[in-house]
Amino acid sequence: MKHSFIDQYSGLDSFVHRLDPRTKIIASIAVILVILLTPPGSWKAFAIYLLILLGWVWMARLPFKYVLKRSLVILPFVVMIAIFIPFFKEGNEIWGWNVWAWHIGITYEGLAVLVNVIIKGWLSMLCLIVLTSSSKFADLLQGMYRLKVPLIFVQIISFMYRYIFVLIDQAMRMQMARDSRNFGVNRWVIFKTMGNMIGMLFIRSYERGERIYAAMLSRGYTGEFPTTSRLRFRLTDACFATALAMLLICPAIFWW
Amino acid sequence: MHIPDGFINAPVAVTTGAVAVAVVVVAVKMTNKKIGEKQVPMMGVLAAFIFAAQMLNFPVVGGTSGHFLGAALAAILLGPWSSVLIMSAVLVVQCLIFQDGGLLALGANITNMGIVASFSSYYVYKGIDVLLKHGKTGMLVGAGVGAWFSVVIASLLCAAELSMSGTSPWGIALVAMGGIHVIIGIGEGLITAAVLSLIMATRADLLKLQVA
Repeated sequence: MKHSFIDQYSGLDSFVHRLDPRTKIIASIAVILVILLTPPGSWKAFAIYLLILLGWVWMARLPFKYVLKRSLVILPFVVMIAIFIPFFKEGNEIWGWNVWAWHIGITYEGLAVLVNVIIKGWLSMLCLIVLTSSSKFADLLQGMYRLKVPLIFVQIISFMYRYIFVLIDQAMRMQMARDSRNFGVNRWVIFKTMGNMIGMLFIRSYERGERIYAAMLSRGYTGEFPTTSRLRFRLTDACFATALAMLLICPAIFWW
Repeated sequence: MHIPDGFINAPVAVTTGAVAVAVVVVAVKMTNKKIGEKQVPMMGVLAAFIFAAQMLNFPVVGGTSGHFLGAALAAILLGPWSSVLIMSAVLVVQCLIFQDGGLLALGANITNMGIVASFSSYYVYKGIDVLLKHGKTGMLVGAGVGAWFSVVIASLLCAAELSMSGTSPWGIALVAMGGIHVIIGIGEGLITAAVLSLIMATRADLLKLQVA
């Protein structure tokens, strides 16, 4: 089945793609942290962050349309949680009406929180998209390991990444077979069927895990993973980090 | 519910991040001691299994669909510490590949759906199992109730984080998150019990894994 959207642009060659993954991970964490720390309503600051992020997207040669489309992932959460805030937050009412015995009103404070959350959420999402579309997943993992994430954890993730697509395909085949057999008519049978599917998937995955482990043992696996690629922190990394840090400090200077 | 960045403020993100890092480091130590680094391929494949199981949809009400979370199942089958590692791995991959859940919110997501969900379901399961004298009923009821608890407690914690960040008033967050997940939890509980019953019938030996 199709998984083409994953790692679609991480194979490009650009200035950003060539940066050390550690630089990009730390830079992303810094950008998101600064976005979170910015007080609500600092429009100039948010505009500057947006310019920084769009500049980053441009330097990474990522298509803007793709980045914007991916950033809509945030919408369901906004609809679920944040959309109610203007109606329930206490404060000055800017708009209200009565529906029978109920009073519905939108408060200025509530609207401010909503806008703040949407802007911060969307900017952070842009940052995460640039990070993940401008680095290969294996490089990100190596960067994580070099940033002191426990080796066993990084290895679990790298194995997971190898087998995710195999197991997703397996799960999707089961789902297709299920849907073609009049599934979903009886509510109680749904849970039984889902239980059987997931149980089968577990047993198959477990047996696959055993086979993989046996195959690796027979090829001399000792629990270590030698790698050939070396990460290097170059002059460009230093320049990128300094420029980014200076740009991020700018808004703080504006407020003072 | 994967919290994106921007919905929780910096203090909440940093605190939950510290909790997540500390517990994951302990989980790595515990798992290392019990099963050794050699079982890494198995853990990776099982993390991929949880990921794939989460992609299976089933219809709920009026055109909406739900999916399985799996923390309870992982905790019951493999023990809470392994489950913490597996669920954290799943959450990291969902964040980095699918942008499902934020980068700085990763700590909060791991705390809710990895740590608290694993441990709460495991101990509820164990408690009911002991109460009902280790029978088949005890295991199935324990798994069902434990899974329900894992979903509900994780959603309450998520609501608490959102209200502490000032994103959503406590009352609303509680109703929006807790209310929905009380119902979602029933599905999770029934499915977890059904999975366990299938494994009991076909590969009962896998129920004795309990590695860490």
